[in-house]
Amino acid sequence: MQDLDIISVNIWHIVISLANLVILFLILKKLLFKPVKKIVDKRQKEIESEYKKAEKTQAEADAIKAEWEGKMATAEAEADKIISDAVERADSRNEVMLYESREKADQIIRKAKADIERERKDARETIKKEIVDVSQTLSEQIIGREINMDDHRDLIDKAIDKIGEEQ
Amino acid sequence: MSIVFLILSILSMAAAIAVKVMFVPASDGIDISGAHVFFTIKMPIQDLPITEAQVNSWCVILAVLFLCLFLTTGLKTRNISIRQMVAEWIVEKVTGLVRTNMGEYFEGFAPFIAAILGLSGFSSLSSLLGLFPPTSDINIIAGWAILVFFLITYYKMKAGPWIYLKSFGQPQPLLAPLNIISEVATPISMAFRHYGNVLSGSIISVLIAVGLTKLSNSLFSFLPGALADFPYLRIGIPAVLSIYFDLFSGCLQAFIFAILTMLYVAGGFPAEEYAARKKRRQERAAAKAARSQTAGKHADN
Amino acid sequence: MLELAIGIILGGCALGAGCAMIAGIGPGIGEGHAVAKACEAIGRQPECKGDVTSTMLMGCAVAETTGLYALVIAILLIFVAPGRFVDLLMTTIGG
Repeated sequence: MQDLDIISVNIWHIVISLANLVILFLILKKLLFKPVKKIVDKRQKEIESEYKKAEKTQAEADAIKAEWEGKMATAEAEADKIISDAVERADSRNEVMLYESREKADQIIRKAKADIERERKDARETIKKEIVDVSQTLSEQIIGREINMDDHRDLIDKAIDKIGEEQ
Repeated sequence: MSIVFLILSILSMAAAIAVKVMFVPASDGIDISGAHVFFTIKMPIQDLPITEAQVNSWCVILAVLFLCLFLTTGLKTRNISIRQMVAEWIVEKVTGLVRTNMGEYFEGFAPFIAAILGLSGFSSLSSLLGLFPPTSDINIIAGWAILVFFLITYYKMKAGPWIYLKSFGQPQPLLAPLNIISEVATPISMAFRHYGNVLSGSIISVLIAVGLTKLSNSLFSFLPGALADFPYLRIGIPAVLSIYFDLFSGCLQAFIFAILTMLYVAGGFPAEEYAARKKRRQERAAAKAARSQTAGKHADN
Repeated sequence: MLELAIGIILGGCALGAGCAMIAGIGPGIGEGHAVAKACEAIGRQPECKGDVTSTMLMGCAVAETTGLYALVIAILLIFVAPGRFVDLLMTTIGG
């Protein structure tokens, strides 16, 4: 057969190509657009359900977290209270102990001081007595006669007091 | 499984090449002529010659069909494959294109626009395989343009035939003949735009091929015997032109045909009148329902 | 005489085709103008290069239509009309 003219209009050709376009339209609609749209919708639904699930689990987790945080907060407060109680008790005991020990030390010091004082008094008394005796003997020997103890006692005491003051 | 469809899709294009090799007499590619006629069927108004363009366009449809099956086998909602990504990308892009150009009401046009893009684009690209591009046959494009014309008219009629008839005498009743001519000129101009672009590409290719044959014959005439007749310059140089005329121009014309279809159909649709008519109809239906209800009550009483 | 008539037909068709292609001037000027404006727009706003280029290609392809009408007429005159006119002549003479 020969070729067609370069431009030749044939009514059946036109009808056939019109039908071809309609057929391709139906093919694309049924085989490409419909399944793809379906799968996209399905994915959209799946994503939405996943989101809902995720939101639900998130809410649950938030609730649990809040609960635990509350528990933790009370536990912490309890622990703080225990610690502060213990510290307080320890402090008070410490103070008592400190006070007691200071008291004891003071007592000891006071006792010691009293002892020292008494010793010193005793010593002074003995020394005074001895000095009086010595001076009596010395003066007996020097004067050669027994002096009247009662006359001179005052005099001697005065002298000794003077010595004590000078010391 | 899916690879079978890809192989079938390639095979359907290979079948077109096989038909060309077996039944079309070999030419040296330097004659300008229409499609080769395989055989003629007796038909009432006009005999129907089955031509290369027809066969090629059927092969393109088969290829697109198997490509669709290839892209949409084993769709999943997660861990999607590259095939599914391509399928979703196509659907998303075409739907977005239709929505931006035509609005929400015409979203159902997305497969039709995809069909125009696919058929026109693949038909123009089939010339890369050495086939006769179906888009350089005026009948093929005229069929699409007439379908588009029917669609335009259908959507113009949606608000009622009276409004459609009135739109012809729109600025001035005297301009009615011009309006009718411009209405009829729409499909013709669409058809000739696409046809002329593809045909001009093939004519320029043929002219270049003739020129290069002559040039190489005169340049290599010093070679002995049959070597001198071989057209050396026709190797490679026409391929550069084919990138523009087949690839770029084919895809651009397919896109323009689709864009013009969308603009004409959406532009001809009288949205406000249609909305008003719909509202009126709903009101009338509601009134009728109310009346029948009251009538029923009366009957009960 | 018949040769002369056929020659006139062929010559007339070729002349008509040539005249028809004068229409190629129009889209040439128009597309040049469009591309010049697109270049200006890109120079003014280089960030809109993609949009401007695609819109320009669309416009160019639509503006090319008039040239393509002329091309189709020229192709008709060269490849289809001579045969038809010669057939017509033959039937007229034969009749």
